[in-house]
Amino acid sequence: MEANTEIKNAKARIEHIEDVLSSVAAGELELRIESDIEDDLTGVEQAINLLIDDLTHELKKSLKMKQEMEEKLHKIQDQQKTILQQQEDLMELSSPVSKVWDNILILPVIGTLDSQRTQIMMENLLQKIVTTGCTTAILDITGVPTVDTQVANHLLKTVTAARLLGAECIVSGISPAIAQTIVHLGINLSQILTKATLQDAMIYSMKKNEQLVDGKVKTNYVDLDDN
Amino acid sequence: MLEIVSDKSWELLEKCPILNEYDIVKARQIVREFAKKEGMGIVDQTRITTAVSELFRNMFSYASGGEVLIEKGIIEEKPTLIITCIDKGPGIDNIELAMTDGYTSGGGMGYGLPGAKRLVDRFEISSELNKGTTVRVMKWK
Repeated sequence: MEANTEIKNAKARIEHIEDVLSSVAAGELELRIESDIEDDLTGVEQAINLLIDDLTHELKKSLKMKQEMEEKLHKIQDQQKTILQQQEDLMELSSPVSKVWDNILILPVIGTLDSQRTQIMMENLLQKIVTTGCTTAILDITGVPTVDTQVANHLLKTVTAARLLGAECIVSGISPAIAQTIVHLGINLSQILTKATLQDAMIYSMKKNEQLVDGKVKTNYVDLDDN
Repeated sequence: MLEIVSDKSWELLEKCPILNEYDIVKARQIVREFAKKEGMGIVDQTRITTAVSELFRNMFSYASGGEVLIEKGIIEEKPTLIITCIDKGPGIDNIELAMTDGYTSGGGMGYGLPGAKRLVDRFEISSELNKGTTVRVMKWK
């Protein structure tokens, strides 16, 4: 029959094609179909070789892209780690409690009060109240741009906790805009002692502690001249 | 569910996702900037910022986040800042109750939603259980 004479060794060659294709599928991209015979099957063999060439090219390209993406991902992950680390550092730094006068602590609050930060802030303040034995603490919120219900709630809780330890808290630094906003929000802050400025809070505290009498500052330190 | 359609005349200024607490801060800073740019005074800036802060926080706490659209347009012939908060959270069962002073389902003070409403010029809310909640607030100059 004529068809049989045109394609020589058809069975062996098709088996070879199958072998090559399965090897390529398994990842051996260097393999190509080899044949010395030129006939009708040669076109198919060449087409398959071309396809393998294209596939190899695309695979290499996507592999390279994948590598690049992974590198970028690593970079982003590193950056995120740095950001998280910095946020933690900032959190530690951002809640200093200082003793400014006998019996008076000041906690200047700057920036945003999120739940985590407030927790640290409260712990710091309560700890300091216990270690110093101060009974007056001023929370200055001049540096807090937005007081929403959550911030107000945190302030209330902090003041209540301090009261349980026997310390009185004064909140100072409420701007006129924030005062109006709090009123509209409907939050009742009347349980908290508030003063407009840090100075007012300081004067109030010193008068209460009898450290400021008739405009004169008195301290609990022994005056050396008296001896 | 409130159809989330914006008037075609409104101009989209910014779109921000709310996924964590830092997004809340970032988004409300952006709102404050736009309020300032629109020529609002410090009191109005503080009001709108505080109102959206409540809404963003709700999205974060109850719906594990959502998306915020900041637009500007003309409402009642006044230049207006329009902020739309869209979440796919559990939805609000009883909106009337949620809008009541002092009611909270999550341990807050219960002044977030009603307080936000009092701080803005227009307040729209719609919610469907298990689908999500959309809140839109407007503040004009």
